[in-house]
Amino acid sequence: MCVLCGQMFSEIHWSERLLDPEAVTQGAGETTRRQNRHARTRLIGKVLAHYGLDVSDDWSATNYVVGNRKGAQQVVASLAELWPAASRMAGRPLDPLDPALLDRLRRPNAETET
Amino acid sequence: MTLDGRRAVTVLSGFLGSGKTTLLRRYLSAQGGAGIAVIINEFGAVGVDHHLIRMVEERSVLLQGGCVCCSRREDLVQTLRELLDLEQSGALPPLRQVVIETSGIADPVPVLFTLATDPVLKHHFAPASVVVTLDALNAATQIERQPEVRKQIIAADRLVVTKTDLAPREAVSRSRMRVRQLNPTARITVSCLGDGFDVLEPAIGIDRAEAIGQAGALQPDADAASLHKDVQATALGFSAPLDWPAFGVWLGMLLQARGPDVLRIKGLLDIGDAGPVVMNVAQHVVHPPEHLPGWPADAHRSYLVFITRGIDPARISESLETFQRAGGRPDLSVTRLS
Repeated sequence: MCVLCGQMFSEIHWSERLLDPEAVTQGAGETTRRQNRHARTRLIGKVLAHYGLDVSDDWSATNYVVGNRKGAQQVVASLAELWPAASRMAGRPLDPLDPALLDRLRRPNAETET
Repeated sequence: MTLDGRRAVTVLSGFLGSGKTTLLRRYLSAQGGAGIAVIINEFGAVGVDHHLIRMVEERSVLLQGGCVCCSRREDLVQTLRELLDLEQSGALPPLRQVVIETSGIADPVPVLFTLATDPVLKHHFAPASVVVTLDALNAATQIERQPEVRKQIIAADRLVVTKTDLAPREAVSRSRMRVRQLNPTARITVSCLGDGFDVLEPAIGIDRAEAIGQAGALQPDADAASLHKDVQATALGFSAPLDWPAFGVWLGMLLQARGPDVLRIKGLLDIGDAGPVVMNVAQHVVHPPEHLPGWPADAHRSYLVFITRGIDPARISESLETFQRAGGRPDLSVTRLS
């Protein structure tokens, strides 16, 4: 547990590990993490929009908050938990090979279309 | 210790009678056994006076809601933790490698899953490679009839074709071809009476790139789909460095949706840094990506090989490209190398 923010960290997802040890020693680790995190959440938002869902980071950018249009929300700690939770909320599997999803992602306003 | 200060774990697998023990015996003799622990499931056969041999009875626990690869090998958890305790209390000399010889019909993936997920082991042990032996005399029949053999070959980083002193030359080359069809990234060694045993030596640093695959294996193979129609292997190349966050989103979603049909993913990725990132996925088990300090001199090439079941490779390529473009690489193109 982080004593400053009270967050429990049980597992760091493989995609969220900092890859460059040099960056960490130079104190740039947190900036890199935040940048990667922002990019990741933005892309997940575009994907989930196709299923009528949205996603945001919690205040500390360590958890994801997945929501639907009825106002239901679920907080998940990592990408490993996000996809099953989103699939349950959407009521169907989320498949990155789905041609309809890929069509939507190719459009410029994928995130905001309804 | 070799990998990030952790002890390297080499998984040695292969069907019954395929020469695992001969290879291991030759390796231990050559190494003198220093700093190497061996975990086997049958006593007696190794025949090397080696005080760090532990016998286990394979005991898997299928996790609730998990698929077959997500099973925990409780026997290994217990044995590896015991070894760690003995080493840390000074009862054993420092360990640099553990070789786990599985039973002939075992699937190596649960071993990797156990190492990756156990809260203690993952900090002390790192999977180095999966070495699989294949008997050239019986390879054709075994690959055809034994799903365990196909699983082992797909999970292999290094494949050792054995009994080549007994098998006709055509049988050896046919064995190589069949391995290539199932797993184009496995590095193949042809062994006679246990030579080539150095495949069990863990690779470090840039040699890891060589150990996880070879770009030379990515040549188009006209016969690749002819024998195993349900299994496809395809290699993808990239026109530019990949966006790492977008790649993580895509691969996580792919494994969630299609995990049982994604048998293996291996490759070296250029994500815009000095060296490549090593990707190695065996079924659901994603090895923590490794960042190498530089590219191997003869292989500055970003690629990913997918071994899948019943998924059109063109759809994987199209999907990855679309996610990359949506995630901040608008000009990136993904091409099929094979």
